[in-house]
Amino acid sequence: MSAEAMPATDGPIIRYFEREKLDEIAAPAQKTLRLPFWFSSDRVITVVSACLSIGCLFVIWYLGTRYRINLFIRFQNIPTPHEVFVQAGEVIGSTKFLINIGMSLERILLGFAIAIILGVPLGLLTGRYRRIRELVMPAVEVLRPIPAIAWVPMSIMLWPSNESSIIFITFIGAFFPILLNTIHGVEAMDGVLLRAAQCLGASEPRLFWHVILPGALSQIFTGLAIGMGVAWVSLIAAEMISGQFGVGYYTWEAYSLVNYPAIVLGMITIGMLGLLCSGAIRLIGRLTMPWLAFAPGSRK
Amino acid sequence: MSAFRRKRLAMAALSAALALTGGPGSAGAKTLDIGIGIQNTTTNTVTGGIVLQQLGLFTKLLPRTGKYKDVTYSLSWQNFTSGPPITNGMMANNIQIGMMGDFPLLVDGATGQATGNATELVAILAYNAHGGGNGIIVNKDTPLYDFDDLKGKTISVPFGSAAHGMLLRALQMRGLTGDFWNLVSQSPEIGTTNLQQKRIDAHADFVPFPELLPFRGFARKIYDGAETGVPTLHGVVVRKDFADKYPEVVVAYIKAVMEANNWFRSNPQVAAEKIEDWTKINKEVAYIYLGPDGIMTLDPTIKPAWVTALTADYQVLQHLNMIKPLDVQAWVNDTYVRQAFKDEELDYDKQLKSTTGYDVKGQDPVCKAPVANPAQAGQVWVRDGDIISFSSPVCALLGVRQYQAAGKTLNAVYLVDHQLGIKVFADQAFFAVNDKDRAKPDITPFLLKRDAEAYAKANGGRLATYAEAIKDVASFTP
Repeated sequence: MSAEAMPATDGPIIRYFEREKLDEIAAPAQKTLRLPFWFSSDRVITVVSACLSIGCLFVIWYLGTRYRINLFIRFQNIPTPHEVFVQAGEVIGSTKFLINIGMSLERILLGFAIAIILGVPLGLLTGRYRRIRELVMPAVEVLRPIPAIAWVPMSIMLWPSNESSIIFITFIGAFFPILLNTIHGVEAMDGVLLRAAQCLGASEPRLFWHVILPGALSQIFTGLAIGMGVAWVSLIAAEMISGQFGVGYYTWEAYSLVNYPAIVLGMITIGMLGLLCSGAIRLIGRLTMPWLAFAPGSRK
Repeated sequence: MSAFRRKRLAMAALSAALALTGGPGSAGAKTLDIGIGIQNTTTNTVTGGIVLQQLGLFTKLLPRTGKYKDVTYSLSWQNFTSGPPITNGMMANNIQIGMMGDFPLLVDGATGQATGNATELVAILAYNAHGGGNGIIVNKDTPLYDFDDLKGKTISVPFGSAAHGMLLRALQMRGLTGDFWNLVSQSPEIGTTNLQQKRIDAHADFVPFPELLPFRGFARKIYDGAETGVPTLHGVVVRKDFADKYPEVVVAYIKAVMEANNWFRSNPQVAAEKIEDWTKINKEVAYIYLGPDGIMTLDPTIKPAWVTALTADYQVLQHLNMIKPLDVQAWVNDTYVRQAFKDEELDYDKQLKSTTGYDVKGQDPVCKAPVANPAQAGQVWVRDGDIISFSSPVCALLGVRQYQAAGKTLNAVYLVDHQLGIKVFADQAFFAVNDKDRAKPDITPFLLKRDAEAYAKANGGRLATYAEAIKDVASFTP
């Protein structure tokens, strides 16, 4: 995103720039013809690359099933894009499928929101205070590698309703990446910033709000993006509990009836929804952290 | 068959690699990989799976002459808790021989025909001619005792399973529609936990769960598939390309199943104990299914009535739009099981007509009479002891009193339901007691409270629980 679309937020660094200077930095002198941001050549390349990236997957799938490739990897029984398309034609648009998508989104977003509410503050505290870290980390490291599917029976017994059991499992998926990335964000901060703020007389709460949180924010968003991905990964395990709704359940039921096109349709749907959610997080990240546009790291 | 050529290629590459590293390379010898998809926890199928594996029966009977002279067999036994993953393995050609219940068998056949991976139904493992084995269970603390109590309740069932079929039939028979209850899909693992936590009102499932969960103490069976009267069975499917190429292997497999069936029948108590060791399904539950006069009958023949039932099952699935087209006639192939009978010098057509299993026998030690009528028989399994047979429910309950007085613990007490004709755990049963003649009380066991009440009403008696019935026999002197 170029600077024109950026709102004049008063982030910790940006407020030191004059609005005009911002434009000068972001839009170098040679750019005389001003196209709308969504039509710049840069933007076109971005879109083309995205299409190419997903298109490659599609082409491999198409060619594999078209010629029934059988070179160690076997495409013999993989449903063709056409079969999946027919399946999609049957269910997409049906209210049931829309309910499935709606239910899954709701479960993911609720689990994810709880993971943020618990994960970010806990991560900030854990990253900042050694004693808390010593208390929290061993438990986290024990719980973290447990796969979502292993949580299924315990989740049913722990929580009073199906919905809460399902949300718990999506929460488990999202929580650990968010927590660990927040901790890492705090730990990786430049100590000079902290000392400077302390020299200027910042109290501990103000330090958290004005220095540590913004400083760790970029890492936190990395955690959010990963957490969102893992939440979707654990969706099928979560919705095995449900027994009637959700994209994960749809995919699971298709497996128990050995309906391959429907399985692939479920996989694609989960993939697309995951892509949308991660995209939304990245967008929010860029809106909340405009200063990152000027700190590209080693990006080219 | 390109899959085998490819596998051999992979094997050749592997042995070449082993030879290079100084490993044992066996140049020239053929290796035949056979994947067998088994269901250890589905007690009906054990004589096609874990028993063959543990006793080495299939390995023993594999052909070793003629074109199999130089063949090295590589068997991989792959255990699953339901049929669909086995079908998946068969479609991917990782599994050549698989076993599952009636509805999953049909899905296997239809998926095979639709994807060019045709399979064939070559033998039956066990059946109940009236549909017993599948059932609906509830948490025993809930006040649900009958099918009619399920109106408006949430029932879970593994979709596409034999138990799902039973539910659909039960509705059909009563002229009810799907909105009678709220039906959701849950695998046995999930449904069991949910039932224990009372998160669902009822769970319908296949062998062994309708007996296992009541036996483990937190559930009550309130509906048995036997009420539908439609046969239920587990069968063996093989990939057609495999069977066409290696028919002798398929015949050997069926012969191994027949030997395993004989092994079980020759000493069901020891067999049930072994099944518990191998599969962790309680021996008392394995015995109620596969023991004498058990719920299931071990018989490999493919009876015309089974094909009729499968065709009807198929129509149920088709009606729900849950299955692809299937040519049942092309899918059922009894040539291999016929050949197995011929090789063993047994009369296939005679067995085809028989629908009897093996009966409870012995001498009743309390009433001092031979056990003559299997429908009246009772059995008591003494812990660390034998299974004792009794000639009537009254004699069996009297036996229970005597063992209890002697300080013995009982693993299980079996009686036969007077209405449905299936074996039941006595402590789960309801009794119609008529003890007007104190010296000669009449006690009739039932699985369902409803049946016991109706019988008591019709024949002048009263409803009793297991504990009450044991008290009621005290006055009886044989």
